[in-house]
Amino acid sequence: MADSTGTSNSTKLTSVKPKLVVIGNGMVGHHFIEQLCTQGLQNQFDIEVFGEEPRPAYDRVQLSKYFETGSADELMLTSAQDYQDWGVKLHLETRITALDTANKTLTTEDGVTSTYDSLVLATGSYPFVPPINGNDRERCVVYRTIEDLQDIEAAASQSKVGVVVGGGLLGLEAANALMALGVTTHVVEFAPQLMPVQLNDKAGDLLKSKINELGVSVHTSKATTAIVDGESAMHRMTFNDDTFLETDMIVFSAGIRPQDALARSSGLAMGERGGITIDDNCLTSAPDVYAIGECALWQNRIFGLVAPGYQMARVAVSHIAASANEVDSTTTFTGADMSTKLKLLGVDVAAIGESRGFENAQFVELSDNQSGIYKKLWLDETGKYLKGAVLVGDNSDYNRLLDCYLSQDEIEGNAVELLMTGDESAVELKDTSIICSCHQVTKADIVNSVKEGNHTIAEIKSCTRAASGCGGCSALVKQVMDQALIAEGVECNTGICEHFEHDRQSLYHLCQVENITDFDTLITKHGKKSPTGQQTTFGCDLCKPAAASIFASLQNKYVLNQESSHVQLQDTNDAYLGNLQKDGTYSVVPRVAGGEITPDGLIAIGAVAKEFDLYTKITGGQRIDMFGAKLSDLPIIWHKLIDAGFETGHAYGKSLRTVKSCVGSTWCRYGVQDSVGTAIDLENRYKGLRSPHKIKFAVSGCTRECAEAQSKDIGVIATDKGWNLYVAGNGGMRPRHGDLFATDLDTETLVKYIDRVLMFYIKTADKLQRTSVWMESLEGGLEYLQSVVIEDSLGIAAELDAQMNSVSDTYQCEWKTSLEKPEFLSRFNEFVNPDAKPDGETHLYERVRDQRFPLSPESSGAGNIAIKDITTEQNEQAVAEELV
Amino acid sequence: MSWVNVCNESTLPQGTGVAAWVAGKAVAIFDLGQHGLYAIDNVDPATGVSLLARGLVCDMEGVLCVASPLYKQHYSLETGICIEDEALVASPYEIKKEAGQVLILAKS
Repeated sequence: MADSTGTSNSTKLTSVKPKLVVIGNGMVGHHFIEQLCTQGLQNQFDIEVFGEEPRPAYDRVQLSKYFETGSADELMLTSAQDYQDWGVKLHLETRITALDTANKTLTTEDGVTSTYDSLVLATGSYPFVPPINGNDRERCVVYRTIEDLQDIEAAASQSKVGVVVGGGLLGLEAANALMALGVTTHVVEFAPQLMPVQLNDKAGDLLKSKINELGVSVHTSKATTAIVDGESAMHRMTFNDDTFLETDMIVFSAGIRPQDALARSSGLAMGERGGITIDDNCLTSAPDVYAIGECALWQNRIFGLVAPGYQMARVAVSHIAASANEVDSTTTFTGADMSTKLKLLGVDVAAIGESRGFENAQFVELSDNQSGIYKKLWLDETGKYLKGAVLVGDNSDYNRLLDCYLSQDEIEGNAVELLMTGDESAVELKDTSIICSCHQVTKADIVNSVKEGNHTIAEIKSCTRAASGCGGCSALVKQVMDQALIAEGVECNTGICEHFEHDRQSLYHLCQVENITDFDTLITKHGKKSPTGQQTTFGCDLCKPAAASIFASLQNKYVLNQESSHVQLQDTNDAYLGNLQKDGTYSVVPRVAGGEITPDGLIAIGAVAKEFDLYTKITGGQRIDMFGAKLSDLPIIWHKLIDAGFETGHAYGKSLRTVKSCVGSTWCRYGVQDSVGTAIDLENRYKGLRSPHKIKFAVSGCTRECAEAQSKDIGVIATDKGWNLYVAGNGGMRPRHGDLFATDLDTETLVKYIDRVLMFYIKTADKLQRTSVWMESLEGGLEYLQSVVIEDSLGIAAELDAQMNSVSDTYQCEWKTSLEKPEFLSRFNEFVNPDAKPDGETHLYERVRDQRFPLSPESSGAGNIAIKDITTEQNEQAVAEELV
Repeated sequence: MSWVNVCNESTLPQGTGVAAWVAGKAVAIFDLGQHGLYAIDNVDPATGVSLLARGLVCDMEGVLCVASPLYKQHYSLETGICIEDEALVASPYEIKKEAGQVLILAKS
């Protein structure tokens, strides 16, 4: 029995698996493989993929992003490594030139022939170039692949003026790309309006005027007749109305055609105007040959969007899996909705269903010339069902309208109200509403995922794949998730504590615009009303320090200010300008900017430490920490340090801690810039800056990076041309390398960028959120931050600069201020009646390695209650954040 | 048990705590004006360290508390009971103002 089982197993293992071949590794071809492998089908099949392009699948939908980042990396959907991990053989830059469906073989252009058991054609489409004389001249290019983008980039570098032929969706994307490359851009469209497939004339006209305003010249009703030598530029395009336009480069983006040559030559059934005919299972006319995506023709229609292509991929996977296991396939392709929502050149455009209307249709039309908004709804003859819609200038109604269109529910009340309900709300969406059309994720899918315990966007994304396609639905996904969390009784946690419903960013904003400078006003005006009506203004240990930090960032007043009661808000360390240690004593850390200290400075610190018997240790931030100072000794200790030329190190504050540096070009044989000098200047500029959490810097004098700058919130690394700036690095419990923010900066620009990054962080980060987490939470991440700081995309750079200058100009050493005003010092008298102190009451210490260490209360016998760790989760966080 | 005169009422800080010696024990005093005058053990029962007077005053769902500066447990100023763990208590003292003086009832 055992023997026979063993034999049959080994037979099964050595038997050849059926061979599944996919031609094409674009978005749809890749989605097919991904679906196959998520279902574990790579174990049942021997899978091979052939792709023509030199790299695996990338995001063609967001192609123009390439010009924003200058790199293809951001566009990649996968990697050769992924395929290797799945056990899928991926052949890149390999064209299949012959397909024999009778013998089930295919041949590459190098003449290599192989066989298949099942074949999937995902060959996509190619750009249509109108048959115009001269269309093959130099710098006449198309827009589809990353190689095309590189050609466009090369052409643009030699061009002042560029023309895009085609005013459809892709043409406007291409125009966006030319704009980004700094070329004066024209769009030439054959039809009398832009986007003639999706928009009606009025919508097209509005779009045209909006795009004209952005500096793109739009020419409609123009058919190009020839391209010849120009006079003022490289080319002259002549039009059918005897006008002409001169340009240095031309991008053809006049539509796509199915890439069906291979299928045609192998005799598969085709549509009259191209496209590989498929049935509801995505099967072609040949046995075991499927076609999916833009090359496939279903019921005489080509689907030129990614979402229907993904649907076809899933149908094909389901049919292949079902056939292999001899069961019936569960899903079929039943057509796809071609509704679409996009931002073209920054203008909102959306089309739903029959967006261009139809005979006998009723309609509702809203044309707001003042705000530049146009909306039109198409209804059936009864006026009760939504059949189509077009939106320009404002897409905020899109999800609600799409839902209404797809569900075909009768419209309650007047159809015009569909446009008047204001902000869309996820509440109105039904469980079956598709939230993510790329991956067909419904509201119910997201809600169920939340119920299974996925409580963050990242978890929802990885579990349901929602918002991981084009990303257009991410705001809606977040909204649905938040509502589901509330329904689950999980707090969405937007408020910082039980006293405020606001997060730190909103509180910061309120304090700024309403000029609120004290906690009483803040909590009275904006605090939650208590259910009992009994209201105090004490707040708690979460909101008070947060408010203190906000006031300090906005006004930079003395933190122990009694008049505006700031002193009552300060957390443990800030309250006494020292770091509280486990035995109730404090540590003292003078600033040692850049880690540079004179021998006299070292002697002064040594003398103070010796006099007060303080335990001394070098910190990770290149300065000296002295432990074990009694509360009442803090003023005299600081008096001595300030007399010796030191100032506070703000080791107790949520503020700039240290700027670590290597020795740099002044001594080092390899250093290329003066890292110590720059570190000292930076530390002096930002010292005292109060922020949502502590901030650490480092400056390295060359690429060897001895200062470990990439693990800091702000990292600066010298190059032979200037400085490279890294932001949002972190060490600690969640290490993260900083992101390269800008390269080869001069010192002035470096400081300007750091000013803005830090002020934007202070303005927008959550309470106790380090820069690393903040950066990851910014929608758009590094690129977004770069656009805000470098390009001033929000128009706030001047404000950020002014705020930082003001903070820097109002710097004060808090210990110096405290010592100058004796009334501030009363709080360091721990007891109101020190004379009543009982005899023999002292802290107990032991000496280890010639220094003083505290004895824990139980070993010293000082406390008669055992130490008990009862910290709640929230407290743990607060405490963990507070440790140096 | 007797009332101990610890200080002049004008020396008490408003809205924050301060410590006082009462019959050899450290006591944390909180003068919260219209919201009351409180005294509890200055020793944090969770750690045995004498520092509760240095904590922040909080209103936790209507209960006035002090948050321990060390690990942030909240002790009711009225009863001394820890909100997070009822087994921890910083015993309360009776306290009053009389003729401009602050008096605390010592526990022998």
